[in-house]
Amino acid sequence: MTETQPASPAKALLLLPVLVLLGLFFVSVFQLFSNGFADADGWSLRYFRQILNRSDYQVIFARTILSSLTVALLSVALSYPIALLLWRLERWRNTLLIVVLVPWLVSLVVRTYGWLVLLGPKGVINGMLAWTGIVHQPLALMFNDLGIVIGLTHVLIPFAVISILSSLLAIESNLEEASGVLGASRFQTFRRIVLPLSLPGAFTALIVIFLASIGAIVTPIVLGGMSHQFVGSQIYQEVMYTFNLNKAAAWSICLLAISFLSLLLLKAIERRLIGTLE
Amino acid sequence: MSPAQPEALAPAAPFRAARGSIHVAGVAKAYGATTVLTGLDLTVEAGTFVTLLGPSGCGKTTLLRLIAGFIQPSAGKIAIDGRDMAGLPPQRRPIGMVFQNLALFPHFSVEENVAYGLRLRNVPETELRRKVKTFLDLVGLGHLGNRRISQLSGGQKQRVALARSLVLEPSILLLDEPLSALDLQLRKQLQVALKEIQRELGTTFVFVTHDQEEATLMSDRIVVMSAGAIQQYDTPPAIYSQPANLFVAKFVGELNEIPGRIAAVTAGTIEIDGPGGRHALPASGLRGFSPAAGASCVIGLRPERIAILPPDADAGGRIALPGTVIERIALGPVLRFILRCGEQRLVAVRLASDGAALPEAGSTCRIAFDPADAQVFEPLAAPAAASFGEKP
Repeated sequence: MTETQPASPAKALLLLPVLVLLGLFFVSVFQLFSNGFADADGWSLRYFRQILNRSDYQVIFARTILSSLTVALLSVALSYPIALLLWRLERWRNTLLIVVLVPWLVSLVVRTYGWLVLLGPKGVINGMLAWTGIVHQPLALMFNDLGIVIGLTHVLIPFAVISILSSLLAIESNLEEASGVLGASRFQTFRRIVLPLSLPGAFTALIVIFLASIGAIVTPIVLGGMSHQFVGSQIYQEVMYTFNLNKAAAWSICLLAISFLSLLLLKAIERRLIGTLE
Repeated sequence: MSPAQPEALAPAAPFRAARGSIHVAGVAKAYGATTVLTGLDLTVEAGTFVTLLGPSGCGKTTLLRLIAGFIQPSAGKIAIDGRDMAGLPPQRRPIGMVFQNLALFPHFSVEENVAYGLRLRNVPETELRRKVKTFLDLVGLGHLGNRRISQLSGGQKQRVALARSLVLEPSILLLDEPLSALDLQLRKQLQVALKEIQRELGTTFVFVTHDQEEATLMSDRIVVMSAGAIQQYDTPPAIYSQPANLFVAKFVGELNEIPGRIAAVTAGTIEIDGPGGRHALPASGLRGFSPAAGASCVIGLRPERIAILPPDADAGGRIALPGTVIERIALGPVLRFILRCGEQRLVAVRLASDGAALPEAGSTCRIAFDPADAQVFEPLAAPAAASFGEKP
């Protein structure tokens, strides 16, 4: 293979799918922005003012960000031990990985409705708690932030397991042995070698899950109920029920901005954090 | 620098002399039905450079990992510094180890890699800095302490791995084929460097390799292993000139094998039917077996022990056979000859400086050797090594 190949029309065709995708992306983003900033007579920030000045909407922003952060942290914390287990149990790794991924075989909507069955006031969990006499009044496990966090964590945990596992698998096979010969206990080896080397994977998981969660629609609608909206579910309502496309676009632009800024912030934290551990 | 004694390892005087010694007694290792080691006895004197040499699957790495404590023997005992190591994990043994893939910590700098073991031992910062510097200087990396591991060349990584182990001043340093991934030039450099460092520190080095040249170059003593057993344990010259059996003779150095049959055994002499008739060889050439008349044997000749004479020359008391020069290859300081003697193919090596007197390819010649240079071996049994595996 030579480095410079003659350009041929056939090869230019290969670029076509990319161009189509890019084109669609920019057209839709342009559409989004023109809708968001549009007004009857030109450009304005009207819809943004409508959104940002209302205190109930500010609550939605705060809920979206804080819940997503909780979901991200919770997912990483819960999946780290799972990833560690999969890493250790070499023989069972593939089987267990399938178990971790099985929820993805079921549609998101179905799974989320499944949580209704579990979390409702007369659901399985409250039923068991009442039956054992631990609680007398059913706990409010859904139609609130808790329900959303539970649902989203369940949906997003496999991302974290895969991301952390892949960084564990990238650790050279006998670093642990080497650490042991140099005098480290198993815990010291974990803390000084395994944990720092798997941190990039954990942080990637944190970022991916945060971004996935911040744009969630279905879970907040089903498990949050009418009173606990996410930005995503609010956009859905503006489009599907109030038909206010301009306002929906403004919401979307806000969400985009939040995602983008959080990504920058999280990346900065990641650099700082992983830097200090070395 | 003198190998200072860490407090924990400085017991009473009689043991002090034995610091760095290894005693392996009756050590066997089996994984299920697979025997990997068959009951080894080995004593390594303190301060020696010992190489475990053998083909892959011979059990040399298993023996190293047993000494390190990564695995426990199925039978037998291992003592280091005169202390029984039974049941002790690697971190409680007075050993260091350099791994085949080096296993450097990629998230630490060079300095922090070397400091790792000292930090675990809570060595005060000033002493830690001093020691790290001393040992980085020792391996010639004093100027690269702040580098990241990914910024180092292969040879530099070797040196970091070495310093990381040596800074803890272990009684014994175990090296598991650490040079195998390097190119020849660098490998040769590091062989010399390793040997020099070992001599300077006086630490016992146990080095695993399958490269007989490397073993010969570096070692005070070589353990030749095959099929899970020790074939010979001796100095490199002794192993070359007095191999214990045909396996060792073939594995260390080059050997011409001439099949023969023992015709008669008398005091001091064996008579062998071989190419060119019956030859009387001194019994001192017998290697590790007591032959009986009628048994088949192998006459072994090192290439440099074969003389090539003109067809009409006088052999001068040596055994001489008619032959042909098939090839004459100049290899720098030596000439390598491929000869044929009847059906037998032989390799001979002569000094290039004697080349003028030696025949060209295609010419007939007399192939001569001193009976005292001939070694007589028992033929190798059918590959007994088949049932031995490296590791499950």
